[in-house]
Amino acid sequence: MSAEERFAGGERAVNGEPVVRVRNLHKWFGRLHVLRGVDLDVAEREVVVIIGRSGSGKSTFLRCINFLEEPSAGEVAVAGISIPAGHRGRELNRDLLKLRMRTGMVFQEFNLFPHMTVLENVSEGPVTVKRIPRAEAVRMGEHFLAKVGLLDKRDEYPIRLSSGQKQRVAIARALCMEPRVMLFDEPTSALDPELTGEVLDVMRQLARDGMTMLVVTHEMGFARDVADRVIFMEDGIFVEQGPPDVIFRRPQDPRTQRFLQRVLD
Amino acid sequence: MVPGAVRPVDVADAAWGERQLLVQARQRRVRQLQLFAVWLGIIVLVAGVLVRFNLDVGFMTTWGWFILSRGVPTTLGVSLASITFATVLALIGSLMRISRSPILSGIASFYVSLFRGTPLLVQIYIIYIGLPQLGIVLPAIFAGVLALSLNYGAYMTEIFRAGIQSIGHGQREAALSLGMTPQQTFRRIIWPQAVRLIIPPIGNEFVAMLKDSSLVSVMGIWELTFTATKSGRPRFKNMEALLIAAAAYWVLTALFSTIQSLIESRLGKAHER
Ligand SMILES: Nc1ncnc2c1ncn2[C@@H]1O[C@H](COP(=O)(O)OP(=O)(O)OP(=O)(O)O)[C@@H](O)[C@H]1O
Ligand SMILES: [Mg+2]
Repeated sequence: MSAEERFAGGERAVNGEPVVRVRNLHKWFGRLHVLRGVDLDVAEREVVVIIGRSGSGKSTFLRCINFLEEPSAGEVAVAGISIPAGHRGRELNRDLLKLRMRTGMVFQEFNLFPHMTVLENVSEGPVTVKRIPRAEAVRMGEHFLAKVGLLDKRDEYPIRLSSGQKQRVAIARALCMEPRVMLFDEPTSALDPELTGEVLDVMRQLARDGMTMLVVTHEMGFARDVADRVIFMEDGIFVEQGPPDVIFRRPQDPRTQRFLQRVLD
Repeated sequence: MVPGAVRPVDVADAAWGERQLLVQARQRRVRQLQLFAVWLGIIVLVAGVLVRFNLDVGFMTTWGWFILSRGVPTTLGVSLASITFATVLALIGSLMRISRSPILSGIASFYVSLFRGTPLLVQIYIIYIGLPQLGIVLPAIFAGVLALSLNYGAYMTEIFRAGIQSIGHGQREAALSLGMTPQQTFRRIIWPQAVRLIIPPIGNEFVAMLKDSSLVSVMGIWELTFTATKSGRPRFKNMEALLIAAAAYWVLTALFSTIQSLIESRLGKAHER
């Protein structure tokens, strides 16, 4: 499929196993029922954008996919590694590490490692987790730094980077693990406004290169241009989903309509 | 311009800024001189009081060397050994304290509470003259190092714990999301950042320990304090001997405080602009 077709937001053939499969996911924080039975399949190379108001459970959902939050019930599978909620054992633990290796995550607050240079940040995963020889990890790191346009910053410490540069390094750090899917949790919300563009450009390029992506964002322009599918979430459930054209132009559910009316003016 | 007229201050004027910097530098130098003068005044005053003690300079020169050469190495040795063991205890203690296991965390918090809640001198006595009632007799030097290590280990456990816990949650999550195990996350990400926060307080603890090590003199260890009292008392030269010991402690603590602040500023600069 060509880039033009992608940007037309055309239907995407789901071939083979979905990269992410979520079944009947629930999450309670004490009495608070934050995720109330969520199902999702994300196909290879698909870009899914989740929108919804604050507190609707978007972050919690993403964090349950790589088990930064422990799901209360249901099942999550990434790239064929399936983990049901609630079980804890050694075998499962190994599965958990494998699942996380195949799942890249980009945080709102970047979370770069301040005691490492940019290059050390991005090669840390391959060296420590995959036990790849350092020289090779450095080559990989340089490759992905070049991809986000920051190869010239390889020896800087994160404190010397702008917020946009930090987030691009964070993206390169996740890519260095060669994940099957990238999760983005409001990657531009902590940026100085004039720097959101450079991060969104990197994400656009990533989508064009065929990365499977699950993105939580308030950037409606990005959702409209890049997403294959937009999901509107409210009160812990997926209220409505479809191609961006449909969701943005002809939303069916009154809740979606109300939300879009507010954010699009 | 009319002579004597006040020229309006032009803040944008570069020369004006330069002059301000010079003025500030001179104010700083004047202040340092003032402080130095105050110190000098106090020293002269104290010296005046000391003269009235009719200090025996002969004793101080003949026995001074003995007190220093015998006492300082032991004081330093005891302190260095104790701070080393205390650091190990604190590392273990802090890891237990923050572990999820209620047993480990409970043991660690009990240890901290007990050893921070009782006087060091009582701990020394219990180890040295209490334990023998159970048939456990420890050599004095061993008992001293043990007591200092346990006591400082308790305080430092809390320092380590605070340092480790002050590393933001996001760091742990970023590491875990790459697929690191909790152990790798601690070793590679949390600990290296915590160490930068922990090392300066360890320096403080060491300086404090140099002084607290004088308490082990009650067991007859020939460190600075014991050596001084042992040399002075039989010759009725307590003041002379103790002054030498006090001066030695002062020089040592000043020395290590300086080293510590050097390390601190080094660590502070690392990874920064
Ligand atoms: N660790 C936690 N403990 C208790 N409650 C939590 C926790 N994390 C999130 N919540 C609650 O769960 C609900 C969903 O939070 P979540 O962060 O998933 O929302 P969100 O859609 O990402 O919102 P935002 O757009 O503000 O990021 C909120 O009511 C929040 O207060
Ligand atoms: Mg959120």
